[in-house]
Amino acid sequence: MEVSDEIQRLTLPWCREAHWWDSLPAKLNQLEPRPTELDCRDWRLGCRDLQQLSELLEKTGVTLTRIHANFRETIVSAAALGYQSYLEPQQGSHTKVTSTDTQPNPNTPPRLLFHEGTLRSGDHLSAEGDVLLLGDVNPGARISAGGDVMVWGRLRGVAHAGQDGDTQAKIVALQLRPLQLRIADAVARGPEDQPQPGLAEEARIEGGTIMIEPARAKTFNS
Amino acid sequence: MAPTTRTILICSGKGGVGKTTLTANLGIALARLGVNTVVLDADFGLRNLDLLLGLENRIVYTAQEVLAENCRLDQALVKHKQEPNLSLLPAGNPRMLEWLKPEDMQRIATMLAEQFNYVLIDCPAGIEDGFKNAVAAAKEAIVITTPEVSAVRDADRVIGLLNTHGVKPIQLVLNRVRPKMMANQEMLAADDVTDILALPLLGLVLEDEQVIVSTNRGEPLTLSNSKTPAARAYSNIARRLQGEDIPLIDPAKEGLGLRDKMWRLMQTKIF
Repeated sequence: MEVSDEIQRLTLPWCREAHWWDSLPAKLNQLEPRPTELDCRDWRLGCRDLQQLSELLEKTGVTLTRIHANFRETIVSAAALGYQSYLEPQQGSHTKVTSTDTQPNPNTPPRLLFHEGTLRSGDHLSAEGDVLLLGDVNPGARISAGGDVMVWGRLRGVAHAGQDGDTQAKIVALQLRPLQLRIADAVARGPEDQPQPGLAEEARIEGGTIMIEPARAKTFNS
Repeated sequence: MAPTTRTILICSGKGGVGKTTLTANLGIALARLGVNTVVLDADFGLRNLDLLLGLENRIVYTAQEVLAENCRLDQALVKHKQEPNLSLLPAGNPRMLEWLKPEDMQRIATMLAEQFNYVLIDCPAGIEDGFKNAVAAAKEAIVITTPEVSAVRDADRVIGLLNTHGVKPIQLVLNRVRPKMMANQEMLAADDVTDILALPLLGLVLEDEQVIVSTNRGEPLTLSNSKTPAARAYSNIARRLQGEDIPLIDPAKEGLGLRDKMWRLMQTKIF
């Protein structure tokens, strides 16, 4: 564990090494009652996990200020709980086990732009990396990203993923009813028929055209 | 300054959806409830609030003269002939548009807030300078739209702009509702509109030919004790603004002809 000047850092062990919950008591003892940032590394934590963790930290007088993680799932959960969250590039998490702490490079822009609030007609949200929107994209609004576009809400406007040419980029939304979808250079009109309710969907390029299918949990990991 | 003054902007984005009609009728309806109300025409380019209120021939001074300090505010205010609780501050010369600044509108609104309980601002269509001037003066807003895709789209844009200007609360009035078309799904349903705009519905006004008649006469519907659907809707909006709890009408149950009503009656079992 590293202790910086102002904010101390609580780092969870890698998945392979130990379960984060088991290692927690020992780590908590080393923490001082100061603002703390949490590095979740390659743990995929849900809202409930993070909530439990923050409550546990509160009890020892430690306040959680921000959360780092290698996986978007954790970032999504952290953002939903209102924490500042940063997606770290995955380094040696799956294939090799490294015990050295990987410090984030402060010069690289964050890979994930998080925005809360509905995009209304005429608004345009654009991101260099991936974008996660907690809210709706209304008809007439645009959301675009160099990477993936993820909408935790209804997508009814225009979405453009991989605007710099990344054909692997995806568009995911809880309700995918766009006017138009674009991935890299491919353009597709939104589906005419009503989608099934209560089913998150994703759009990706398959064979040169944009296909829409039910979103898979894998979407977030790949 | 009256501590309870509410400065409400009435706007829509798209033109012709009923901003001025709502301003005039709401002004009269509030005045009839006994509150001191002023309507301010912020549509300097194409003013016609004075026409709707039938006050065109009584205008001597306008907001322009007040701002230039060529007259006092009470000289420019035109009291309504039948409803003394309602006053109109007319818009100035269309050429005034060029030099009018948001601060000027703020100054007018502050002056009016000292004397009145309600300041209703009739916003021009569009989102250009006229809108920016008008929004600077407002604390809260009523967005009016019709159940048409284009009007809803423009309203959505305007709501986004109101949010960035920190105007709240924002409430919604759905105008020119045709129950039959809604029932046949030929028109956006009220739910579809609120679904997109995500605003609380302040009122639902049915399409009503009497509105056209009253507009041409310069006598807002709420002035007489008219029982037409639109007149009722406007007075209900005024009473909701005053904090009364009046349920919204259900478009599915409104505007049915006598035959439909009889048919419905025959289908209900009476014991």
